[in-house]
Amino acid sequence: MPVPCKRGCGNNAVLKRPKTGDAICKECFFWAFETEIHYTITKGKLFNKGDSVAVAASGGKDSTVLAHTLKTLNERYNYGLNLMLLSIDEGITGYRDDSLETVKQNRDDYEMPLKILSYKDLYGWTMDEIVAQIGRKNNCTFCGVFRRQALDRGAAMLNVKCIATGHNADDIAETVLMNVLRGDIARLKRCTAITTGSEGTIPRVKPLKYTYEKEIVMYAHYKKLVYFSTECVFAPNAYRGHARALLKDMEKIRPSCIMDIIYSGETMSIKEEVSLPTQRLCIRCNFVSSQEVCKACVLLEGLNKGLPKLGIGKSSKVKKLLDEYNTRQNNLETAVKDLEDCNITDKKTSKTCKNISNGFKQKECNATNCCTNKTERNVEKNNEKLQTVLDKYSLENNSQVKLDEEDSDDSEIKHQDEDDTCSSSCGRLGVGF
Amino acid sequence: MKCKKCNSSSALIILRKKDLYCRECFLANVTHKFRSSIGKNKILGKADNVLICLSGKEGSTVLLDLINNALSLDNHKKLRITPIFLHLCENYETIKNVIEQCQKYNYDLYSPHISEYVQSKSHIPIVNSLPIVNNELIEEYNNMQNSMLPTVKDDFITNIKRTLYIRYAKLLNCKYIFTGETTTTLATKLLVNLAIGRGSQVQSDVGFLDSRDMEIKIIRPMKDISEEELKLYINSKNLKVNDKQTSKENEHTSLQTVISTFVSSLQENFPSTISTICKTADKIGLQDECDNERHNMCVICQSILKPDEKAISALDATSISKIVSLRKHTDSAIDVDMEKNVINSTIFPYIHNRLCYACSRNYAEIKQSKIPSYIIETQK
Repeated sequence: MPVPCKRGCGNNAVLKRPKTGDAICKECFFWAFETEIHYTITKGKLFNKGDSVAVAASGGKDSTVLAHTLKTLNERYNYGLNLMLLSIDEGITGYRDDSLETVKQNRDDYEMPLKILSYKDLYGWTMDEIVAQIGRKNNCTFCGVFRRQALDRGAAMLNVKCIATGHNADDIAETVLMNVLRGDIARLKRCTAITTGSEGTIPRVKPLKYTYEKEIVMYAHYKKLVYFSTECVFAPNAYRGHARALLKDMEKIRPSCIMDIIYSGETMSIKEEVSLPTQRLCIRCNFVSSQEVCKACVLLEGLNKGLPKLGIGKSSKVKKLLDEYNTRQNNLETAVKDLEDCNITDKKTSKTCKNISNGFKQKECNATNCCTNKTERNVEKNNEKLQTVLDKYSLENNSQVKLDEEDSDDSEIKHQDEDDTCSSSCGRLGVGF
Repeated sequence: MKCKKCNSSSALIILRKKDLYCRECFLANVTHKFRSSIGKNKILGKADNVLICLSGKEGSTVLLDLINNALSLDNHKKLRITPIFLHLCENYETIKNVIEQCQKYNYDLYSPHISEYVQSKSHIPIVNSLPIVNNELIEEYNNMQNSMLPTVKDDFITNIKRTLYIRYAKLLNCKYIFTGETTTTLATKLLVNLAIGRGSQVQSDVGFLDSRDMEIKIIRPMKDISEEELKLYINSKNLKVNDKQTSKENEHTSLQTVISTFVSSLQENFPSTISTICKTADKIGLQDECDNERHNMCVICQSILKPDEKAISALDATSISKIVSLRKHTDSAIDVDMEKNVINSTIFPYIHNRLCYACSRNYAEIKQSKIPSYIIETQK
């Protein structure tokens, strides 16, 4: 029995909306999905007419859908925005190099200018090199901290009024839970804000804040948008995994809980006597920081001095570690000087210099080696999320779409293999508990 | 094995998998946590009547023992309150156990039936006896409960108990209520609160003091004691707990059970989980505490009703989703504000008027005729 679209358009419904439980046809879904985002943008006053806006683009589903929707709405409702894409190349072989290809595809499809900034250019290190130093654990700290600042830098270069990011409702609810579990009250306070950014910085806005991840996946699927859906090759953020697993379990019981968690975050207030870190500018790089020297600078310092763990853990320990390092260096220098005084010419000094520079060169060589090892990847692979969502929310007896049936047969077969990968990856998450 | 505190070599108790204590130091520590939470907050006056709410479970068993010890002291540390004991009867098995527990200490117990909630007024029950209730009330109560999904039901029962505690406190002339929630329960409750949209009520629901009611204050003196400590306390004092606890329904049916399982399993691997969550809870406050203006209160949970101040909230976004999912297809702009009122009457009944966000969300899911009519009708 085909279900008629709830909006009374006469068509048969193709999906059940996860957020409201209403069955709706494809065209009405597109309209509803876009109109909601339009409402979020106008009611939340995210943009002003004539603004230049950078869309933070990773090539993943969220940013692809964001770019597509912003372009559509910009034309439909005459926002007068000047949209461009901003991507960060972390230098992760087998992940980012492939996803950047998708972003380039978006650039051509949506006719938006694209700016790519790389960690290599900004910081002198690629993530591959950083992981070689720090190992598989804690590397997400580097990547996250650097990306945040890289986006700010990119936005400044593009001279935009704000950055739009693809955070969806699930991401935000997850972040609320995670911040409670970690006891991070400052982040808990600001993570549900639709616009973030203190004075003097370029604000970030989240137009997809109230959009369920499942609907984004379905929108991309029905609109046949090209996106990249491989997980990062380095360890996924383990702690977030706990919050994510919990949210998924809760969503199964009561889908509205995602909105409820966001509402909780929005209406929650922090006691006045709790002191929160104030945001200011880093004295070294002039970007936003909650400390005198920002985390990015500390991490970078650690990398360049061969102390990769410097920025991991307590920030109070940074000074101690640096002092130790400096005394070591001083000892070395005085030793060298002593030797010089003993009239054993510049030979020694030049040698130490060489050692250092050699170290650097070697690293660079490694990097170029890594980069040439590009592997071709199938973008469609690993698309388990889409399959599970479709499986659950698209309505069966889809008789009116006879044409697509061959396709759907195909995808069903694919789905079976992928079900396995899904269960194994869920299992992996479970081990953490 | 040396005790961490007194260095005597008779340490028998291991806390948090690593800290060793002897029996005396451990018991002293638990007692201290109980007393200091009351002492620090300086709310209780001398010789006040305090309604002690007992469920018969572990928390209430220890609470009863701690109170008895504190009352029987003969020095300046004696707890100067007059306790009155109450148990809300849900099944007749438990009630016999609780009466037995109290009689061991020579205390009287009031035990009204939970179905009293369906009528707006109650009377003081006879002490130490099974509640006398007519079957109609119980049937009405059961019908109401059975019409709810597990998550809503769980939340609703919490509020029913709270309402009844306050009602009996007034009848029995108490200004204060003690409940036996531990850190573990409160950590779970914080996450539950977030998950059902009660973020703004965290301080009242999880903090030391719930002062939503104008006359009666609810105090949680066990809030620093963990479940682990409870179990050890019960063992080392040989207390008897009613083991036959009503078996929890299927594990993954309500948000509350999912969260509770999650917290305890995370605690296994990360022993600081619960204390971190509770520290977070301590920093979350009430909206506009200093604001003295009288606001309307939710008729179910008594929290302050205030429309959202933000330009857009998850509440608006949900209404919009509903509007665009039902409305006939047109390309013209929609007058959102007008339609929102219409939609809200179905998906958010009485919102910000008589019900808070969470209660309104629940109310929309319940078969509304099952809710006792006096609740929505009274006040206003």
